Amino acid sequence: MSTSSTPLASALALRQKARRRREALTAYTFLLPYLFIFLVFTVFSIGYAFYLSFTRYNLLSPPQWWGLEGYRRVLCIESWFPRPENAPKPVCDDLFIRKALPNTFKYTAIVVPTQTLISLILAFAMDQKIRFRRLFRTIFYLPSVTSSVVISLIFVWLFSPLGVINQIFHLKINWLNDPRYAFYTIMMVNIFTTSGTLMLIFLAGLQDIPTALYEAAAIDGANKLQIFRYITIPMLRPVIFFVVTVGVIGCFQVFDQIYVMTAGGPLDSTTTIAYLIYKWAFRDTTVKMGQASALAFILALIIFVVTMLQRRVIEGSGTVGQ
Amino acid sequence: MKALRMTMILTAMLALILAACAPATPQVVKETVEVEKSVVVTQEVVKEVPAQRAVVRLSGWAASPEETALLQSLLLDFTAENPDIVVKYEPITGDFWATLKTSIAAGTEPDIYYMDIFQFPAFVQDDVMLPLDDLMASTGTKKEEFIPSLIDAFSANGKVYGIPKDFNTLGLFYNKDLFTQAGLAEPTDDWTWDDLKAAAQKLSNPANNVYGLGVPADAGRFPIFVFQNGGSIMTPDFQDTLLDAPEAIEAGKFYTSFRAEKIGAIPADVGEGWQGTVFGKGQFAMVYEGGWLIPYLKQQFPNINYGVVTPPAGPKGEGNLIFTVAYVISKNSKNPEAAWRVIHYLTSEAAQKKVMESGFALPTRLSLQESEYLKTNPASAAIFRGALQGARPFMWGLVGSDVNEQMTKALERVYLENMPVEESFKQAAEVIRQKLAELK
Repeated sequence: MSTSSTPLASALALRQKARRRREALTAYTFLLPYLFIFLVFTVFSIGYAFYLSFTRYNLLSPPQWWGLEGYRRVLCIESWFPRPENAPKPVCDDLFIRKALPNTFKYTAIVVPTQTLISLILAFAMDQKIRFRRLFRTIFYLPSVTSSVVISLIFVWLFSPLGVINQIFHLKINWLNDPRYAFYTIMMVNIFTTSGTLMLIFLAGLQDIPTALYEAAAIDGANKLQIFRYITIPMLRPVIFFVVTVGVIGCFQVFDQIYVMTAGGPLDSTTTIAYLIYKWAFRDTTVKMGQASALAFILALIIFVVTMLQRRVIEGSGTVGQ
Repeated sequence: MKALRMTMILTAMLALILAACAPATPQVVKETVEVEKSVVVTQEVVKEVPAQRAVVRLSGWAASPEETALLQSLLLDFTAENPDIVVKYEPITGDFWATLKTSIAAGTEPDIYYMDIFQFPAFVQDDVMLPLDDLMASTGTKKEEFIPSLIDAFSANGKVYGIPKDFNTLGLFYNKDLFTQAGLAEPTDDWTWDDLKAAAQKLSNPANNVYGLGVPADAGRFPIFVFQNGGSIMTPDFQDTLLDAPEAIEAGKFYTSFRAEKIGAIPADVGEGWQGTVFGKGQFAMVYEGGWLIPYLKQQFPNINYGVVTPPAGPKGEGNLIFTVAYVISKNSKNPEAAWRVIHYLTSEAAQKKVMESGFALPTRLSLQESEYLKTNPASAAIFRGALQGARPFMWGLVGSDVNEQMTKALERVYLENMPVEESFKQAAEVIRQKLAELK
């Protein structure tokens, strides 16, 4: 048996190998257009930006190697500690440490929980059998399919000193021009825009939970609240992880609303890391492309660390599923 | 935030849909098509005469469809007269400076591009523009033909780098009706700070949201008060700032006193972003603005009855800002002679007259000083006069954007956080010095 089957088996294996190779070739052929774009516009760009982060580069003359000076100027460690009076100011920009970093963390800390909660509540409501459910879903999702620039412009009107918001509530707040309110106004816009998408994700997660579990819980005599706490939330955990992660990454990169609504002002109260990168790279008369690239990599590192931590936290409090 | 990528995709989709079914093409696009067609016609003519056609690329921002159309018609005339040169007009929409600087980095910049005086120092420092002196000599063009404050602004190290195409200064725009209501005589070119303040007091009515003077936290307005007080924003060599010098601080105190005394306001106080709109609505009786306000008022507020005078003098005399843009030639241009001929044509007396009469911009040639147009348009004439009365370019050296930002913040801290002027300006000056140190 074995003597006669060996050549057959090897021939089979050979053919299988050839087929696998053919399949791989087909796969790569199909992948080629994407791979090309990915390599040129993502891998190469990131690599080049990484190189630029170690240079001084103002776009008009060729980049000069600068080592870690760009990173030093971004972090501006000298400004972390109190300086004696009349000591010379360190040669670096403390805008990142003093404004952009705290602002970005504050933004994330407020926006992520709020939008997650609101979208979860919305999704839960939309999962009930109520009338006009589809209409409501569409309405809640609408901001997400609208351009954020357009929404930002509409909010600029709504929140202008003589705008609708002040008229309705009889307020005299200069929302976007007062350092005390501007950032919160932008947060509102963002929560308004993203909650729809997150609601949809939660809704999909909710509908994925087998009804058998709810029925079993009901038979065991669990009330609505208990079902929500002990069935819905644990079953939604992977979805929550996803929503929070996407939310955190998005918040760390917040840019367009700020660009349109306040341009980082008033008095830097809405300057975030992403906006600062843009400012250094394109707004300044003397472009600081190297410093901006360095900050971009610092931002990437921050997002990486925060996401890992968050995974730990959410994993630690139960199972993250798959 | 996370919606950004999504938004971009959706915008792209929307753009495709709109492009696919756009029924009413805006006028700009129509104009572009016409010009392209005429370029093709020129090509056919040239084929008969075997000559080397030089291609010259020209880029600027597209301020308005009408202005673009005007430039294109000038270029069309140029191509008709100069069949050996093909001018490719490539306007940059969106962020002009980011696009231009990245194209210079990539070595693909146009032969001719617009150069704002504010950005000029960085381009000089990195030596990316062609000195024009030899080319000017080739056509017998003299520096003296242009308004000195403009051509000097675009000169560095004894060389001319740009031919100013147009300019603006600030004028005091005043609402004639509000002046009549308050029983005040209209301002004249001889006004002083005291006249300004006295008038603002009489014109203001905060209960009705009417204020005497617009005093925005704007780095494009405030410096004239420093100049009028004998101060300056930067030292002559741009290596240090004078924002914390007594002259500047005193000017800051005067400027911010209007809002503190409720006889002046910032646009946001009355719910607007720009004081031009507030002026049009009749809520600011006086504003410092440039010639750009004239066509805006004509379009948006045709019924407003207003006049323009040169800014009132301060304790140390006149002071004004010049905003100007020039045509420059890239150092990498393959056809500098052809590019120069384009610039020479566009800044010729005939072309500038045409632009001036369309009402878009003021001419930079001294010879047009006495033109009929300025005599019949007193508002434009006041803006034009400004350039001849001790005005200084709106330019603060290599850290220009930082100086602007710090000046704005210095005023904002006074307005929004009630910080004393002195402290706020000192803080601003300190940051500017830090930025100057960062350049090294």
